[in-house]
Amino acid sequence: MVDYARVSMELEKLRPPKLTGTRPARREKRDRHAQTKVAFFRYGYYDIAFKYFTERVLDAEFVPLPPATRRTLELGSQHSNDFVCAPFKHILGDYLEALELGADVLVQFTGPCRLGYYGEVQESILRDLGYDFQMLNFAVVSGKPATEYVKLCRRTVNPNVSLKQGALEMVTTFRLIECLDAYHDAYLSRAGFAIDPDEPKRLQGSFYRALRATTSRAEVEAAYTAGMEALERMPQRTPADPVRVGIVGEYFTAVDPHSNLNVEDKLLSMGVKVARMLNITNRNLRYNEKNLRASAAPYVRYDMGPTSTLTVAAAKKYAEEGFDGIIHLKSSGCTPEIDCMPVLQRVSRDYGIPVLYLSFDSQTSDTGLDTRLEAFYDMISMRKAAPRTARQAADLRTKEGGDR
Amino acid sequence: MLPFAKPADLADVRSVGIPRALLWYRYGTLWETFFRALDREVVLSGQTDKGVLAEGEARSVDECCLASKLYFGHAAQLIGACDALFVPAYANEGRLASYCTKFQSLPDLATTTLEREGARTFGVFVDHITERTTARKAFQDLAERFGARPKTAVDAWKEALHAQQRHDAALARRFSDSVERARQGSGLSILFVAHAYVAHDPYVGGDVVRMLEELGAHVIMADEADRQRAWKSSFEFSDTMPWAPNRELVGALLEALDAVDGVVLASAFPCGPDSMTNDAIARCVQGKPMLSLTIDAQSGTAGLETRVESFVDILSYRKKGGYLHG
Repeated sequence: MVDYARVSMELEKLRPPKLTGTRPARREKRDRHAQTKVAFFRYGYYDIAFKYFTERVLDAEFVPLPPATRRTLELGSQHSNDFVCAPFKHILGDYLEALELGADVLVQFTGPCRLGYYGEVQESILRDLGYDFQMLNFAVVSGKPATEYVKLCRRTVNPNVSLKQGALEMVTTFRLIECLDAYHDAYLSRAGFAIDPDEPKRLQGSFYRALRATTSRAEVEAAYTAGMEALERMPQRTPADPVRVGIVGEYFTAVDPHSNLNVEDKLLSMGVKVARMLNITNRNLRYNEKNLRASAAPYVRYDMGPTSTLTVAAAKKYAEEGFDGIIHLKSSGCTPEIDCMPVLQRVSRDYGIPVLYLSFDSQTSDTGLDTRLEAFYDMISMRKAAPRTARQAADLRTKEGGDR
Repeated sequence: MLPFAKPADLADVRSVGIPRALLWYRYGTLWETFFRALDREVVLSGQTDKGVLAEGEARSVDECCLASKLYFGHAAQLIGACDALFVPAYANEGRLASYCTKFQSLPDLATTTLEREGARTFGVFVDHITERTTARKAFQDLAERFGARPKTAVDAWKEALHAQQRHDAALARRFSDSVERARQGSGLSILFVAHAYVAHDPYVGGDVVRMLEELGAHVIMADEADRQRAWKSSFEFSDTMPWAPNRELVGALLEALDAVDGVVLASAFPCGPDSMTNDAIARCVQGKPMLSLTIDAQSGTAGLETRVESFVDILSYRKKGGYLHG
């Protein structure tokens, strides 16, 4: 008969086993989380990094935005100046939708072109419309020491942002961006040749879902490895010499599929191997202006603008690697990229590589784009086929001559 | 010569061509004095006309702004008329004192478009923020490329800088005198807010200024205001606006707003910085009637005349005490 029974459930190791050891002070871990709801604009697949940044670095709530619709751009254009560049209109539309979804804080970055002034003008437009919110506008502190950035985040989003965790997780955010970009590069070079045409999108979707759920560096790495393996295992039929197209252009329009009407997907569906050097990894995380410019010599002597060096250097690289064509994407009126066009024309002349220039404004119909892309594809694929047949004919002739 | 000294690759250039466009309207005195101090002849392109525009359009991408098309028109005029063309790049002169990226890309654009036609170009790159190059350093290095001794280089820069400062001070005096007169006088006074290369180019903003003056208005040019003071007071308007010229215009506008009867904002189509700034000004700077004009490469001025006339009408009605009391 059991007289006495007791189960001990001290599962948390709160003290060392030594009987007389010092007891650690029992202190509640300070809860640094803020309920502030932070929203970014839509920018390709980088919402995953924005989410990680908000939840892990700022330790606040992230407001995910549903895919953009026609209404988004209509809203944005309605409240913008006519001849401001298209990203301004897209982003303003995103902000309006984010505020409808309950965002408290809107985030804007800065850059050496009109982008540097985006945040302030957008904030003033939204305030004039009667919205109440905070703006985390990094243009305010650009060029100032990192402590100013921390102060700004504490002031607008979360007064308890932890410096230690923030710095650590910032590194992970950068790593996350590198993973996203590396995956996308692999995706662009493989997705055009999948045997099941729906499979690449499916794999990409599950990769993004896995990354969205990550909360630490180890999880990011694991998700990345699994995603890349799945993509590499995907059954595909790659031709011996596929048509290859390089995408260059402006920071927002060339990257964001909603802004460029899914140019990349359209090319992939034609069975093209696509490359795009422009992404956050190459433009920000591993950017060395001077060395990149040296690689673009003699086409660029001075820094011509925010993405100009990258545009020209990438175009030159694609031309040297024997790509079949280059597509230049920009928003209409983007001054720095307009100034790249004559330089790209020169690259095109020197290397004999066709360049298609596409300028996007607030249009939402992509029929015109389809026609242009198809015509460009036909042209470069015929061009690719032509010299080979000519070469084969020449080979044949020499063989015949030898026989005789 | 020491191995790290700059080669005097421009020593053979006897005459320097400067296009009468864009930043010439801001720094023309400095550039011309500088090259004269180095004993070089300065060749300036002629006044803008239809031919210049046509030449410029032929050498530009369609989407470029009117002012930059005119630049290449002026540059084309100089091919053959001088030994080499001076095409400087100004990226920024400090934090929040940047220029439109157009000014930054001019040398490479000139190389691409003009050197094919046999033009020789050279320039400087002024970038305080990333390359830590001040205008002083850039120009002294340039002087050495011309084969000048360091002492001569320093003297040439000083002489040029002082000439420019005298020129700017005279303009600033004219601006503050005009504002003072407008404050006291009874006539109609209008503040003309436009980049110098728009306001003072007879083919672009010149027509508007002429029309305003013919209608009896006294026109005050915002770009002539004291640059440093205007730049500072622009912070009452914006914390993050990146461009120095736009900042100076806004500062001048804030300074003169009380004194004038109306404001005309003019920009060359499609000016990047103005697309955001002028919109923000029209929304946020209140209290005086404002006319926003975008000037394109169209040759007819009838549309412009109607708008300018009706604006001046509004101002004179207001001056008399409003429509109701007129």
